[in-house]
Amino acid sequence: MPELDDATLDLLLARSGLSPTQEQRDGLKAAYPHVAAMAERVRKPRGRMAEPVLTYGFAEEDLA
Amino acid sequence: MTSIPTIASAAKLIATKQLSPVELTRDCLDRVRALDGELHAFILVTEERAMADARAAGAAIMAGRSTGPLCGIPIGLKDIVDTKGIPTTCHSKILHDNVPTADATCAEKLAAAGTVLMGKTATHEFADGGPSFDLPWPPARNPWNTAHFTAGSSSGTGAGIAAGLILGGIGTDTGGSIRGPAALCGIAGIKPTYGLVSRAGVAPAAFTLDHIGPMAWTAEDCALMLQALAGPDARDPASASQPIPDYTAQLGTGIKGLRIGVIHHFHEVDHKVSDGTQRGIDAAIATLRELGAEISEVTLSPLAEWHACGTLISLTERAAAYDEWARTRLADFSARVQQRLLMGALVSGVDYVQAVRRRRELRAELKAAMAGLDLVLTAAQPTEAPKIDEVPDWDVGQKPGFTMPFNVAGYPAMSLCSGFGEGGLPVAIQLVGKPFQEATVLRAADAFEKATEFRDRRPALSSALVAAQ
Repeated sequence: MPELDDATLDLLLARSGLSPTQEQRDGLKAAYPHVAAMAERVRKPRGRMAEPVLTYGFAEEDLA
Repeated sequence: MTSIPTIASAAKLIATKQLSPVELTRDCLDRVRALDGELHAFILVTEERAMADARAAGAAIMAGRSTGPLCGIPIGLKDIVDTKGIPTTCHSKILHDNVPTADATCAEKLAAAGTVLMGKTATHEFADGGPSFDLPWPPARNPWNTAHFTAGSSSGTGAGIAAGLILGGIGTDTGGSIRGPAALCGIAGIKPTYGLVSRAGVAPAAFTLDHIGPMAWTAEDCALMLQALAGPDARDPASASQPIPDYTAQLGTGIKGLRIGVIHHFHEVDHKVSDGTQRGIDAAIATLRELGAEISEVTLSPLAEWHACGTLISLTERAAAYDEWARTRLADFSARVQQRLLMGALVSGVDYVQAVRRRRELRAELKAAMAGLDLVLTAAQPTEAPKIDEVPDWDVGQKPGFTMPFNVAGYPAMSLCSGFGEGGLPVAIQLVGKPFQEATVLRAADAFEKATEFRDRRPALSSALVAAQ
């Protein structure tokens, strides 16, 4: 499982503007392999044309 | 009254003037006063509003202007639903003093249907996290055993209905937050098709997974509430414009020939349920078969695939929605929600879009699997309710739940009581229909409930109180 080092975590947190405690940082490092595994699960060989699901239609305000 | 009525039974008594909304509301308020100190189902009881609503409903009925079967019915609204002039806290310190200036669409619709607003019900903070003890209000307790968890996040609505403090209420469901509490509190709850019920004025958890729906003691009651709630709304950009059928019209017409596929691998392999839950599922399948349903087996991608897709979307959309407060007021959230918001930093933009592409594939897979079926069936929860102080902090590596697949797909899904486990607490099944086929889900659920005796039993604390009233 991939691990998250302190430098990468610092970068991600700085990018997000978040300031966790040391305990929370440790929790994020422990959780990271599971998040990475989930990200790997949704990464399938589907080619460049595969569309995302379309959640929204056109609301009345879009058509006015 | 000698027992706690359902919405349907109370509506009949009210329509024939054998019961007044004021009497019914007073009975519910008496139960709130007697039990809510222990249950914590409510964040705020709106007694004055309830009595005013009840008097108005009574007057309308006496004048021959009833607004229908919900006229005079006491309900609760999960406290992430905006209510004009009434505090809406999202069970959070962050919104402790928040008083909305407009009603959410679902609140407005239930008020127009003549319901009696009993108050705002407990939730997990911003419909997220879990039972938290570091918030301004305690978490709701399970009326079947108050040492136990209700599930969430529509925890107060679930507890309040099971205990008879309210006859129905609003829940919201991003990964199972209607169906989880419905299952563990032994009531009925339906997550409608995405877009059928407006989300306008309801605090978001994850925009594309959020559903609003009714919770009540029976499927019939859920049908009555859904009738009032469903329909297009220009305030919700995801609102669907499908025609709204009569959700009660098919109730009682039987389920002979209904085709139900059981997703055995979800609850027997991917996440094996407890023996008591499995017995409830097996007995429910036998009952549905006896009622004339044609039962078959259906196979989908493993639960972990659906869980990964839904969780990545949920983490990211939640982190985006609450980004400003996460940056500036992180410590004001509960520890559980802080953890969840921080997790958003671990999901990249590419991860999110891959999850949304995966979602399209999974939805197509479910559509194909249900081509020759009317419904699919699986567990709603893996076990009976655990003790509330033994609910672990949310663990991203936990076993996947049974409810998230149908948030990912957006299909209608309902939890209903299928018996009681070894600990005497409710267990449940989940019935899932095709998009906008809520009427079929409700018909099957109603037939099942009426063929079993599980709707005759209430939590002991409520039964004892009603007997003494």
